[in-house]
Amino acid sequence: MELLQAIGTIFTPWPFFYMMIGTVLGITVGAIPGLTGAMLIALTLPLTYYMTPINAVILLVSMYVGAISGGLITATLLRMPGTPAAVMTTLDGYPMARSGRPGRALGLGISASFVGGMVSWVALVLLAKPLSIIATRFGPFDYFALILMAMVLIASVSQGSLVKGLISGLLGMLVSMPGVDPSTGMPRLTWDWYMLNGGLKLLPVLIGVFAVSQIIGDILELERKAERVAMSRSGILMSLIDWKRQAFNLIRSSVIGTWVGILPGVGASIGSIMAYSTAKNMSKTPEKFGTGSEEGIVASEAANNATVGGALIPLIAMGIPGSVIDAILIGALMIHSIQPGPTLFINNADIVYAMMAACLVANIVMYLVMTGAVGFLAKLMYLPRTFMLPTILVFCVIGAYALDNTMLDVWVMMIFGVIGFFLERARIPLGPFVIGFVLAELAESKLRTGLMITAGSYEPLFTEPMSASFMAIALVLLVWPIYGDWKRSRRAKAAAAAPPDDG
Amino acid sequence: MSEQSSPRTDIGVSLFLIVVCSLVLWEARKIPPGVYEPLGSGPIPRAVAGLIILLCLVVLVQALRRMARGEGVTTGEPEFPLRYLDAVGVVVVTLIYILGLALELTSFAILTTVFLTFTIGFLTRFRRRALAVALVLGLVMGFGCEYLFTQVFVVDLPTS
Repeated sequence: MELLQAIGTIFTPWPFFYMMIGTVLGITVGAIPGLTGAMLIALTLPLTYYMTPINAVILLVSMYVGAISGGLITATLLRMPGTPAAVMTTLDGYPMARSGRPGRALGLGISASFVGGMVSWVALVLLAKPLSIIATRFGPFDYFALILMAMVLIASVSQGSLVKGLISGLLGMLVSMPGVDPSTGMPRLTWDWYMLNGGLKLLPVLIGVFAVSQIIGDILELERKAERVAMSRSGILMSLIDWKRQAFNLIRSSVIGTWVGILPGVGASIGSIMAYSTAKNMSKTPEKFGTGSEEGIVASEAANNATVGGALIPLIAMGIPGSVIDAILIGALMIHSIQPGPTLFINNADIVYAMMAACLVANIVMYLVMTGAVGFLAKLMYLPRTFMLPTILVFCVIGAYALDNTMLDVWVMMIFGVIGFFLERARIPLGPFVIGFVLAELAESKLRTGLMITAGSYEPLFTEPMSASFMAIALVLLVWPIYGDWKRSRRAKAAAAAPPDDG
Repeated sequence: MSEQSSPRTDIGVSLFLIVVCSLVLWEARKIPPGVYEPLGSGPIPRAVAGLIILLCLVVLVQALRRMARGEGVTTGEPEFPLRYLDAVGVVVVTLIYILGLALELTSFAILTTVFLTFTIGFLTRFRRRALAVALVLGLVMGFGCEYLFTQVFVVDLPTS
């Protein structure tokens, strides 16, 4: 009933306006190489201070849905994923477009994105509330162990090595620590500089890490020339036979995407890779994958869109971000004095249902806009980056300043922009950094509360069933890649030591 | 770009992080132990900084070993030329722009117009046509943003 009301609210003038703007801007940013959804949402946050919380979440969730979908256009026509989530789509989308069927490739991707979004929305509606009821029973140690598990999971599935993922997550946690400690009221790590008493705020750090560092990286790569395919709308709508032929693949990939989305911190790229690999392994024609396979496009796009609804589930139910963009959404809720987590359903049910409604309606609007305007959207790929990037820098400055009307935040943004750029160059993933930054305070407060209850004993962390399970999973996640690396290097050494086969 | 970073970048970044975390550890010594609670404010920052140093040492050793084997010195370099000078130039110009805003040298609109015209001009090698477009864009962005943010969104801007 409340959900129906929320859907009804979306169709009132202002919420509808924000939903349309959010979805279209999201698709647009997704379609422009070098710009990401995280960048757009971080830059939009300052504008939401002056909106009602419901309008703010409608705008941001719509942007999230749009940005994940828009990446498919450049992935197909330029062989350059507009967003990292569309990376698997390039493998089959581009070859199909190059073979003279760009409309068909885009049509398959758009329809699959729509189905993925709808399946994950159903999961969101069905699972968020029961999970939040379970989460209200979590004790402080359970919560701490859950966050620890989430951090290890994020680090272990991020691009590159486990060690670098862990460095990134821990660095994010460390950066969140300067300032007055909320538990004791004492300043820490401030170097006696009073301006640091308030700590480093999320927004300038986010804009720096996701927008400024990306701009610096894009300027560095201005000479990158993409191979282009001309756009054609032929085959943009899937036929009934197509739907029938792809039905199982669509559902399977959407379920994989939703499940991956639910896992804390594991974003759309991983969902897309897993669904693509599964589709390839189960296909009757695996040899066609990578050469323009319809199944490949469908699997990748259904899964990456399905992660959106899936990732909102832990955010709503437990206050744990399901992806980097969800970490930014948590920041947005906090700016509006809304505490994400299990009590969200009790204290701010209207916000939860607005998020769910926005996710549904934005998904439908995304399908209609992308099907109708894909030709126009494709032209956005050719916007000259030499003009676009400095313009976005101006928005970064405004966004960082608008938070508290202080230039310190703008300097912080620039410093983290440069740090983010070098971390990226060293292949240290930025996702765990932001998630660590957002979750550190919660993790520390839960641990300290738990220790106060037990008078300093860590025992429940390893003896309580829930926290012990989370700790065990964290340990396995930590040890498994190390064991895998060790096994691989042993095998390589054995192969190198073996006498050459004259055979 | 390749999936692996160059050993030199790894060494530079891990050394930088080791220095930063050592400073944090030094500063964290000042944090008094908890009075009303067992843990206090200090142990977690110390543990996190210590762990980062440890992990950075792992990256450092791995990078040094890769370098000694002569592996991957050129990895990370794509097939197209990288515009290092342009990237550094834009960062420097942006810092000057922010400094100008902080010192309130002139209005946001004028500073933004100058910043955009110069930066776009710099990236397009000051081609006359691009410069003209950059000036128009700068004027629209500078004066347009000042009006939009201060009058419509009611957001304060630096120097406004």
